Amino acid sequence: MGALAEREALRVLRLWTQTIAPPVVAAALFIVVFGIALGSRIRTIEGVPYEQFIVPGLVLMGVATSAFANTATSIYQARSDGFIEDPVSSPMTASQLVLGYLTGGVLRSLLIGAATLAAARVFVSFPLERPGLLAAALVLTSLAFAALGIVVGLYSTGWDQQNFVGNLVIQPLVFLGGVFYSIDDLSRPWREMTHADPIFYMVTAARHGILGSGDVGPWLALGIAAALAAAMLGWAWTTFVRGVGIRT
Amino acid sequence: MTPGHLLPALRCEGVTKVFPGGIEALAGLGLSVPAGRFHGLLGPNGAGKTTLIRSVVGLTRPTAGEIRVFGMDAWGREAAAARRAIGYAPQEVALDRFVPVRELLELHGRYFGMSRADARERAEEMLVAFDLTQKAGAYANTLSGGMRRRLLLARALLHRPRLVILDEPTAGVDIELRLDLWEYIRALHADGTTILLTTHYLEEAEALCERVSFIRAGTIVASGTPGELRERFGAPRLEDVYLRVVGR
Repeated sequence: MGALAEREALRVLRLWTQTIAPPVVAAALFIVVFGIALGSRIRTIEGVPYEQFIVPGLVLMGVATSAFANTATSIYQARSDGFIEDPVSSPMTASQLVLGYLTGGVLRSLLIGAATLAAARVFVSFPLERPGLLAAALVLTSLAFAALGIVVGLYSTGWDQQNFVGNLVIQPLVFLGGVFYSIDDLSRPWREMTHADPIFYMVTAARHGILGSGDVGPWLALGIAAALAAAMLGWAWTTFVRGVGIRT
Repeated sequence: MTPGHLLPALRCEGVTKVFPGGIEALAGLGLSVPAGRFHGLLGPNGAGKTTLIRSVVGLTRPTAGEIRVFGMDAWGREAAAARRAIGYAPQEVALDRFVPVRELLELHGRYFGMSRADARERAEEMLVAFDLTQKAGAYANTLSGGMRRRLLLARALLHRPRLVILDEPTAGVDIELRLDLWEYIRALHADGTTILLTTHYLEEAEALCERVSFIRAGTIVASGTPGELRERFGAPRLEDVYLRVVGR
């Protein structure tokens, strides 16, 4: 398993201009444009300066999307080229294969999360109220979306399907999960509908970690993030055990 | 209990594979390859050669039947040990293009349970044996077709398998490389490794194999040494036997 994990980690690090830099630059641009330029019109949300308010959501957005993209792309590429047969025909178990592929997604997404926080610091001053809670929120988000990426990478029969899930499922859920606003600012039924978006709880947990406040309690947010991560990991493992996309 | 050295390297009993849509690729196939033998598997396109091989290496799950590698159930609890005993060079050259050649070999060894140091040492041996030392730092997708074919064989042998399965190893290669590959394969067999070879070239089977089996419509229709088969069918050449057994 260590070899596959190492292979996935090296792939992320060697291709850093494609895997790490773009989402960090995008997050920095969001902070500059929305937080600093346009944010002066919004001033504060729940007593927090707007440029501070959006930082947790932007960090989480980078973590979620990159964790998904990494595993989905890596697995689909290996399937499409055929070289996935080498690890799949090896003595590694389904659990070891899942852990190996997860490594790349988790590493990439956490590096992006850390780099986004560092980049945000350049433009905005923000506290770090509960670093342990933030770390837990980011790790659980990373695991959940890296595992989802494994499932999509195994089921995909073309790049368009991955783009569909990434752009038309995950991205809208992220944007509607309270990255840029508090759900207290929403009217009914939008406020209630946001509670059905799992990413809302992940964003809220990260917001508790950085700002010390959020739309729901920190333990509820973290608990739902943990449940989602467990469900996604189970789905990824089952998909590997069934041999979807890798065994005929 | 049968001593390990007396067990056949490969024993298939009643192996059936029905693909979705009802296509029966293997129809209760039986095959036994004694340890240390060089066995050829011959048959027309679509006869089931590749499906059988993929079933042995863990890439196609049989619908019914049993496959044992040195007595170990290839799809049961001993699957990991069975896979460790197999080296597989597929028909399609599918090599990881994100890692350099030396690393590709080392990773394969580690996927198959070798320590990092052992895999590194063995990779150097394979680079020398297959005349790839000059290309150790290159990526597989930059190599010539012949080099890629050699690399595929080097990868299959890296973890010192006891049973090597070669699916059309000389398909589409020039005569010079074919003779080189024959030399590698003969040397491997001389060391006591069991080899199962599929090929469309009957002269290749005649030159290399101690025994051959003809496969048609997912079942073995004749087996024996080339001499036995010629005698049994009263044919001057193996090609004539082939035409009588599996031809139109």
